[in-house]
Amino acid sequence: MSVVRVDLSKCIGCESCVKVCPMDVFYFDHTAHKSVIAYPENCQSCGQCFVHCQGRSLGMSNDMFGFAIPAMRQTTTAPMNRVVVTEPGVLTEMTRGELP
Amino acid sequence: MENKERKPVTKELPRPASVPCPYEARYETDVVVLGCGFAGLNAAVTARESGRRVLVVDKGRPGFSGLSPWPSSFRWFDPEKDDADAFRRAVLIGGDYISNMKWYEEWITDSKRIYHRLRDWGMLTPFPKPQEAGDFFERQDYAGYREAFQQLDRHEKWVEVLEKNGIPFLEYTMVTDVIVEEGRVRGVMGFHVPSGKVIAISARAVVMAMGGGCYKPSGFPAGGDTFDGEYIAYELGLPISGKEFEDSHGTSSVAPGSPFYYMNWQYLENIWPGGGDASQDNLKPFIESKVNFVVLGRARAAKNRLPASTGKEVTREAETNALRRGAALGYETDPDEIRSGKLGSPLPASDTHGGAIGMSSHLTGGVLCDLEDVSGRTGIDGLYVAGDGMHASYPGGASYPCGRGFTSCFCSIDGDHAGRAAAAFAAEATLQPLSEETVAERTEAITAPLRVERGFDPNWARDVLHGFMAPYWVTISKSEKVLEATLVQVEYMRDHVAPYLMARTSHDLRLCHEMKHKILSAEMKLRASLYRKESRGATYREDYPYRDDEHFLCYLTVNKTGEGMEIREVPVKEEWTGDREQAYEKRYLCYYPGEPEARGFHVEPPRWMGGGKKP
Repeated sequence: MSVVRVDLSKCIGCESCVKVCPMDVFYFDHTAHKSVIAYPENCQSCGQCFVHCQGRSLGMSNDMFGFAIPAMRQTTTAPMNRVVVTEPGVLTEMTRGELP
Repeated sequence: MENKERKPVTKELPRPASVPCPYEARYETDVVVLGCGFAGLNAAVTARESGRRVLVVDKGRPGFSGLSPWPSSFRWFDPEKDDADAFRRAVLIGGDYISNMKWYEEWITDSKRIYHRLRDWGMLTPFPKPQEAGDFFERQDYAGYREAFQQLDRHEKWVEVLEKNGIPFLEYTMVTDVIVEEGRVRGVMGFHVPSGKVIAISARAVVMAMGGGCYKPSGFPAGGDTFDGEYIAYELGLPISGKEFEDSHGTSSVAPGSPFYYMNWQYLENIWPGGGDASQDNLKPFIESKVNFVVLGRARAAKNRLPASTGKEVTREAETNALRRGAALGYETDPDEIRSGKLGSPLPASDTHGGAIGMSSHLTGGVLCDLEDVSGRTGIDGLYVAGDGMHASYPGGASYPCGRGFTSCFCSIDGDHAGRAAAAFAAEATLQPLSEETVAERTEAITAPLRVERGFDPNWARDVLHGFMAPYWVTISKSEKVLEATLVQVEYMRDHVAPYLMARTSHDLRLCHEMKHKILSAEMKLRASLYRKESRGATYREDYPYRDDEHFLCYLTVNKTGEGMEIREVPVKEEWTGDREQAYEKRYLCYYPGEPEARGFHVEPPRWMGGGKKP
């Protein structure tokens, strides 16, 4: 689970993600005026960067590093879902079972 | 040559080779506050209001780092309305008779004042839920909702409060050393993470409010906390307590490991006020609901090898939230009563355990101070501790039956007290700047992983340690054999991995230090868990599955000695241990699986086990 780049061209260089990330995942390229997802392997998937991204350049996905596997399950346990959120109202490949 | 300036940038750029550091290499101040969550912010402002120069250091950005971005509720005690005796009894009994009642009393007397302080700072301002404010919820428009109420968002207030109070702060700066000479604190050292620049701060007094930690954030966003303060305190010879009591935060099978997916709205909404919900009439269910949620559900799940629920139960979770959050009793018609226990937006159930493996149960972990103390004073002159994971204040004993929203409030009180005490100490103390030799020697140690040419990747070490510690048979349902076996693995990491962690960048340097701290913390947890040969509150031993009042009405501390770690017992004050003559089944309200049968008494199954009436 980690933050992903949905569209780098949408990054407006506000540096919000660099400011709010508690895990030092983001750096900033002052020449290109874009943020850099430098260490996605340290993302804790809290989503603070995603909700602060003013250009809607970031997304949250399990594509890159996968969800943690829950230790215990039962036959009715919710399935492991593939979840990618890109922008409001557009839930790409998002299947959340019976959840609203 | 092509014009690179005009070409749109669409591919992720490489990490910039160098990052400028906005900070000086040396600072001098009266009080330095390490960590700026609820505890650190309150400590800093109180010390500043006492007229001292204050400098705050945080590993991230205040308001967005550690655990303080995440509370969903804040509970306080209203002396004019609430039943103090009911609350005291709830904590005494529900905390399994090792609650620090002196600290709990501070919450009774001080929480309303602290509530008003935070309200004045704008941290507790209510605003509409995403469902009430438009179609944010339906469209899952998290960013839009945040932007719509940005002016009221509490996360932004931390920096605002620091700036309003004229308190300078160093962000993204990891403190690795608290310097103590001749029994007195002299200052701290660390480095600015993005640039790697080493920073030395000379100070008259130090407040450590650095939080607890987990080995790897796997569902609860505790990843910024990595036992940094606990490690420093242990190395200074301070007694570390609460390691055996396990945190209860879980994760969800809907999106395991992702706090964003199953807690998102909770973090974006305002902090819900709570409290006023314990009375003499509802004391039994009040305690049962708390202890069941935090402790016994987990023990039963481990025994049954099942998750706590199906992970699909959105509605049920909302109901559970109503119970846990706690609406003020009988105050529904009072227009001034805002502790409404109002529900946040529906969220998937957190159905499996282990969201933050390694974290101690709230307010048990950290430095154990004198039991008469309510200032966070350590045994070292000028050094104070405050907050969850850093200060073993035990207001909820072994089980945290305090009610949801207690920790954010209590940490604020704890920090306020520590800030006041540190300021008073600093007013009388002389400043002795850190010597060049000390700075050079510590700089060498701090940057050592950058000079390792062949070694271990700290991310690999993180996953290995998490793998050792995360199984439920190590943390949830413990036994001698397994703890001993895991300890062998962790000792191996201590001796053969920690010294060879290798950093290629300053980001790696942070990870290397964090890993060293986590390995030490895991060893402390295993040794404390081995020593406590009983089950009590949030520590459950399947080979000693019941409470043992005769031997373990005590706090355990882990201490650094010449021979390694030593566990010591600190007896709980006699008046906090309840009526020792009382029959066991009367003295305790909640029992571990199989306990009534084993001890030979009968109890009606409580509500959560299918007995009685549903609320």
